[in-house]
Amino acid sequence: MFHLDDCWKAVKVSKFQSFSAQFQSPSTNKQGEFFMCMISYLKRNGVLYCTMKSSQSQTATQEKHQPPKIKVPQHALKKTVDKITRDYEAIIGIETHVQLSTLTKAFCSCPYNYGSQPNTSICPICMGLPGALPVLNSKVIEFAVKLGLALNCKLSLNSKFDRKQYFYPDLPKGYQISQFDIPIATGGYVDLDLPLEFGGGHRKFGITRVHMEEDAGKLLHSGNGAQVDLNRAGVPLLEIVSEPDMRTGIEAAEYAAELQRVVRYLGISNGNMQEGSLRCDVNVSIRPIGQSEFGTKVEIKNLNSFSSINRAIDFEISRQALLLSEGQGDQIVQETRLWEEGAQKTITMRKKEGLSDYRYFPEPDLPEVILTQEYVDSILKSLPELPEMKRRRYENMGLSMQDVLFLANDMNVAEYFDATLSSGADLKLAANWIMGDIAAYMKNEKLSINEIKLTPKELAELIASIKGGTISGKIGKEILFELLAKGGTVKGLIEEKDLVQIVDPVEIGKIIDKVISENPKQLEQYRGGKTKLQGFFAGQVMKLSKGKANPGLLNKILLEKLNAKS
Amino acid sequence: MAMGSSRALLILSNFKFKPTVSFSSSSSSSKSFPSFIRNNFRTRNFSAETSSSLQPPDLPRLAETARISLAPNEVEEFAPKIRQVVGWFGQLQAVDLDNVEPAIRADTEGDNLREDVPETFENKEALIASVPSYKEPYIKVPKVLNKE
Repeated sequence: MFHLDDCWKAVKVSKFQSFSAQFQSPSTNKQGEFFMCMISYLKRNGVLYCTMKSSQSQTATQEKHQPPKIKVPQHALKKTVDKITRDYEAIIGIETHVQLSTLTKAFCSCPYNYGSQPNTSICPICMGLPGALPVLNSKVIEFAVKLGLALNCKLSLNSKFDRKQYFYPDLPKGYQISQFDIPIATGGYVDLDLPLEFGGGHRKFGITRVHMEEDAGKLLHSGNGAQVDLNRAGVPLLEIVSEPDMRTGIEAAEYAAELQRVVRYLGISNGNMQEGSLRCDVNVSIRPIGQSEFGTKVEIKNLNSFSSINRAIDFEISRQALLLSEGQGDQIVQETRLWEEGAQKTITMRKKEGLSDYRYFPEPDLPEVILTQEYVDSILKSLPELPEMKRRRYENMGLSMQDVLFLANDMNVAEYFDATLSSGADLKLAANWIMGDIAAYMKNEKLSINEIKLTPKELAELIASIKGGTISGKIGKEILFELLAKGGTVKGLIEEKDLVQIVDPVEIGKIIDKVISENPKQLEQYRGGKTKLQGFFAGQVMKLSKGKANPGLLNKILLEKLNAKS
Repeated sequence: MAMGSSRALLILSNFKFKPTVSFSSSSSSSKSFPSFIRNNFRTRNFSAETSSSLQPPDLPRLAETARISLAPNEVEEFAPKIRQVVGWFGQLQAVDLDNVEPAIRADTEGDNLREDVPETFENKEALIASVPSYKEPYIKVPKVLNKE
């Protein structure tokens, strides 16, 4: 029998390609997460190791080389794990909490700012003090309707709040104001495209419901006690419950990424998993293919990034599959497990005794939430172009899927791209510049596209100048850097630095003549057979012309002259 | 808006409130409610307990989830009382609701909304001062293992 850890090593190793590709993929590489996977291949016994380094987290997530307990060839392990999991179908559902970026909390006028001094943004209402009554923030309804519409849901024109009652130190009132049986939105879906490095493909995942609720405070464990910060207590949340439609870790991760895209496009949240403004809990169960009954559902918490979602689910599927295949299916119990980023596995939380009884009842202190059809329609009209619509529009314009996914991922990038196009730029060239040199610059300088000094109009101008032959492509790349860093106009820079391309054959001819006359030795070598020296001459001509000679013409005339006298 | 919930608590007036998470505070006090409420309660003639399909609650478990401690004799004493209360409400089952639309809530006004404009609460010091155990800048609480 294989040890679970070894199997997991094999699974990880076989997926390293996906890992490294994943973190380069714009659609899954988020917010400064940086994960490098190095493999050293030991030729002698054909076993592969995987060392992973994360530069982000404080706790060391560096796995050291581990001597294998069983020296089994890597492909055999991989095949076994793949074979086992192939017999099962995974059913995955996700519960997402989105922290809304309203200026004030849900039920009181306290401001909310991430990172402020603890217990400075409090009042009797969010502290749950006797006599204080909640008053709903109208923006919360607006954001909820926006999200419900963006997720193609049916909106409940009449809904209510309920009390979800339990005791915990970060819950001041002893209950959370939420929506239980009549949420504001139900029955929707998201459309998305899987990244190409995972095989691509279109997916549609159902959304069961969206409802409004308030956040609890923050509880920090310390020593033999704990500490509570109530700044976050009462902050509005939207909870999104998906249908159990996802089947793999990557589908789940992409679903979460799409939710992030949507809330950012709508401007209702900054959807940041690391900051906690986007939180995902995942439910995973597996069943033998063909079986209609669901398997035992396991909940996974503590997922702090899209890649954790992906890896945690894959791990959990393997864990459950291995247990089932060894006839130990009864070891899979309905429980909550924590994802351990360092150990790269899920572990049991302390087992709960029985199901929670939240004793829901309608919140007596809040009136019904009533939406008029006019209100809903006006919000529908005000929605921006959503990610899915943008992707389809870009696809119809003729961009490749890879370009589409990159450009539509970040709303600001898409806007920049659209603005560049409306200034007249060529479609493919604009896409290439933005995805290539400009993206690289942004990454290096850690800037967002709103912070670079190159305007879409000037980018269009740059593209036109190169296309029209005014300047060469090489020169274009050079002034790009200056435009990005300092701004300015393309025309201005061309004039200032005298960059206009030389396209007059006579003038080019003169420069070539000069170079040839100054390098008689190389000329002789060239005519003696060393035709590779053409490059040398071309380089010299470029140098002399300060890079302005049109490369095509240069080489044509150069060749003529070099071959002339022989 | 009426605080409907606090009225319900008045009815179960005789219970002692003793949170199992022990805060060293004065918030856990057993109030002695006006006795006329109790009397009213006891002498009220409940109509015969309707053979309702309402299940009597598992009292020890209910007390546990509500963090109310009950001695065994109290459980015995209160179980029938609670059954009676439930049965008394159970009279509502007799109403014919075939032609009635379910209402989401009992009130008729909607919308008591607030603009999204920040306001700092002025006397935060008093709020902090009322916290039983405060170690700047955090509220100190005992360690609780299980989220219920």
